[in-house]
Amino acid sequence: MSEVKTHKRRDIFVEGGIDPAFIAGSIAKHATQSAIGGHEIFLGQVRADPVVTSSEVEKRQQVRSIEYTAYRDMANEQMTVIREEAFARWPITCLHVRHSLGRIAAGQLCFFVFASASHRQAAREAVAYVTDEVKKRLPIFGKEIFAEGGHIWKTNS
Amino acid sequence: MRVLLFGVIAEKANASEMTISAESTHALKRELESRIDGLDRMTYALAVDRVIAHEDRPLTGTEEIALLPPFAGG
Repeated sequence: MSEVKTHKRRDIFVEGGIDPAFIAGSIAKHATQSAIGGHEIFLGQVRADPVVTSSEVEKRQQVRSIEYTAYRDMANEQMTVIREEAFARWPITCLHVRHSLGRIAAGQLCFFVFASASHRQAAREAVAYVTDEVKKRLPIFGKEIFAEGGHIWKTNS
Repeated sequence: MRVLLFGVIAEKANASEMTISAESTHALKRELESRIDGLDRMTYALAVDRVIAHEDRPLTGTEEIALLPPFAGG
């Protein structure tokens, strides 16, 4: 518990997909924190969704990439609030979040949530909470671009 | 004041920001809906200084306004 610290990074956004090597590096950085007993990670990946676009003729298309944009200042402010909520609610040691901006191809990683704690349950619950709240509360917008051309705007339900 | 546009709203307006004067968020919405075709039929939130305004409130003109279509993070 003595190693609890708040995260100083203010900007969660990265241009392009999230490199698995970056994730490996993030895990490795915790090796010296001996109070940690468990890590929990959520990784969001761009899915090649089949989409039926209805016009006069039904067209089946497949998502090739998502182009993400964000109201960056507001998103980072909201992220600070969510982070504080997570630290207040669970005894986690640290929390790292990244989200992609720009055009991310299907199969690439676009969202990374990583919590560490002494015991697994706190890390698990914090990651589930933060993942859901980021989707609900951060002003991030996604244009789903089809392989055959055209696009629709993604919305989180 | 400066009005930032995002996502499908920026696409419809063909601009990422606009400059508009209005005395309240309600008046501002009406003005924006007259300028951006189809906005009155869209789901969106209005943020004042990066906080979503749920109710009508006065504006001084120094605020940063943003029009936010449904969120799609993750």
